[in-house]
Amino acid sequence: MPVSIEGADIVKAAAFIGAGISMGLGAIGPGVGEGMAAAKACEAIGKNPEQAGLLTRTMLVGQAVSESTGIYSLVVALLLLFVV
Amino acid sequence: MTVDIQFIVNASSYIGSAIAMGFGAIGAAIGVGYTAAMANSAIGEKPDSSGTLFKTMLVGQAVAESAAIFALVVSVLLIFRKVPAVGLHQAAAALGAGISMGFGAIGSGIGSGIPGGQVCLGLARQPAFSGRLIITFLIGSAVSQTPAILAMIVALMLLFIDFSNDLITAAALLGAGISMGFGAIGSGIGSGFPAGEACIGTARQPELAGSITTNMLIGSAVCQTPAIFSMVVALMLMFMKFSHAPLNPTWAALIGAGISTGLAAIGSGIGGGMAAGGSCEGISRQPRSVGQVTTIMLVGQAVAQTPSIFGLLVSFILMFKAFPEATTVSAAMALLGAGISMGFGGIGPGIGNGMAAESAAKWVARNLEKTGDLMRTMLVGQAVSQSTAIYAMVISLVLIFVV
Amino acid sequence: MGDLGRIHQLIIPLGNYKMTFNLEVIVMTWIVIAVLITFGYLTVRKKSIFPHSFQVLGELFVSGLYKLTEDALDEKLARKYGPLTCALFMFLIISNWLGLIPHMEEPTKDLNTPLGLGLMGFIIAHSAGIKSKGLKDYLKEYCAPIFFMAPLNIIGELAKVVSISFRLFGNIMGGAIIILVVSHLTYSILLPPFLNAFFGIFVGTIQAFVFTMLTVVYISVQVK
Repeated sequence: MPVSIEGADIVKAAAFIGAGISMGLGAIGPGVGEGMAAAKACEAIGKNPEQAGLLTRTMLVGQAVSESTGIYSLVVALLLLFVV
Repeated sequence: MTVDIQFIVNASSYIGSAIAMGFGAIGAAIGVGYTAAMANSAIGEKPDSSGTLFKTMLVGQAVAESAAIFALVVSVLLIFRKVPAVGLHQAAAALGAGISMGFGAIGSGIGSGIPGGQVCLGLARQPAFSGRLIITFLIGSAVSQTPAILAMIVALMLLFIDFSNDLITAAALLGAGISMGFGAIGSGIGSGFPAGEACIGTARQPELAGSITTNMLIGSAVCQTPAIFSMVVALMLMFMKFSHAPLNPTWAALIGAGISTGLAAIGSGIGGGMAAGGSCEGISRQPRSVGQVTTIMLVGQAVAQTPSIFGLLVSFILMFKAFPEATTVSAAMALLGAGISMGFGGIGPGIGNGMAAESAAKWVARNLEKTGDLMRTMLVGQAVSQSTAIYAMVISLVLIFVV
Repeated sequence: MGDLGRIHQLIIPLGNYKMTFNLEVIVMTWIVIAVLITFGYLTVRKKSIFPHSFQVLGELFVSGLYKLTEDALDEKLARKYGPLTCALFMFLIISNWLGLIPHMEEPTKDLNTPLGLGLMGFIIAHSAGIKSKGLKDYLKEYCAPIFFMAPLNIIGELAKVVSISFRLFGNIMGGAIIILVVSHLTYSILLPPFLNAFFGIFVGTIQAFVFTMLTVVYISVQVK
């Protein structure tokens, strides 16, 4: 069966690939960054175990902020999938 | 315009050969250079043992070089192999073999350079234990070579097995090469970390050599898992029969399956290696910590494995779901996009999880009473840093099942 | 291989809307609940100062999980949310281990279970947040750093539900599919028991713990 190529189809195809690229590449940075936060939190708890609660909370807040770019990627991917 | 199939097959053999050698040289060159750099700094520390150090450096470089030699073999085979061309699947197999070998050699080249360098530093510190150190180093480098060897096996299978002649098989073979090639990067680099730390650790605490080596072997065995996942997907893509499926969306599904497992394995491989490296360092600092450190290493590695398990999940769905025949490009691109999203999305979280596990293993060794606290923080931290991999998986599943 | 992803569904039409029940999940969930109720009954049947084996096991579970809750929250809140932690962890661990028994399936393998538990955690965390901070301060947090970031902050909160539930679902489902495919490829020789041990016991325990801890952590982030 021949594959039809029309403008609308190409736009849709580009949006799908774009959603994949957006979420895929966008996930790399936050993953590494949040890992750094977790690594340093473990180190700090190792040095100063009494402050475990405070350190865990600081780690979570830091991770939540560094995750925001991942969430922007997610939003862009969802927009490309369902809105465009 | 008609192009003879023979020309296409030859052309892609040459491109494959260039990919194999070009990318395959990157890792080995970095590894060899790292060994030389560390040897120089070791000789600077201990000029009087320069003879032993120089010899060790050459052995280390020779081991790290072998990844590039594998690539050279496949590359030369691709240039001089003369087969009568019967179909486009041969062109895809040649490209796939090149990708598998070229990218597969990057990780092992870097990974086996790390122990070579660290053993020089260790020898400068403890010249008396050179025999023990060199054994640890050789075992470690041999383990780091495994992913490159797996990649070479897949490349040779792609070259020398007769596959059925159709376009879906061509896509599957390309996917197999991508899966194995990229999947070997992470495990290759990753298993270099425990090997390097084991060399330094043995120099620091020679009487612990046995338990450090055991720990290194356990750690690097777990860190090979992503490469083995990639090999499983590559073998499935090569030997399962997809010919009855409709060509249009299935070709993209098969390439996407390769991308998904292959790329997602990079992060998990490196991450698992970081965890194992941290635990080897921890044991060498605090001999009593062997039990706890090994436990936390295994738990950390299991969590760091999650992105590659997600990658495998998406690949299996892409391979086994029966897609209805489509006439549009977008149906195919959605499946390719699913593979790309999960593949790239798995890299970062895998590395991040490994960082958390590495630091947890190091600090458990220094602070044994707080194992519970550290384990909990590590798990929560890893779980949060995984969330972007989960978003990537959600986007992949939406691309496969919804749009 | 053919039964990959096949589920038995009960569909009840309700006007224009079709209510769908995944029968296996419901049955399996009830099995887990029955196991937990039996366990709970056995632990408190004969309470004594010299505990019998079930009582020891139950006390071990409850005191360990209670301590975890106390570390993340403070003592007063731990009293309130301790039972939630214990129930959640025990439900999840039995659910994740259920797949080890032939012909049984993990209820967590169906996205509905983790998603339901995730939504439960989300609602509990946010109602706890409103209760402790007051509605005004709670809403003000969404406008940080500037007010037009609010939609992204809301998506960020909703993404937590997605990540917590898909993490559990992906791990359990991924394990089940990998076991199925590998068993098929190796004709069920040698490898499947090890895979079952890894995915069922090891990953299942870790993921149950992670899910429970994250729920507690989400509550603690909201109340602090």
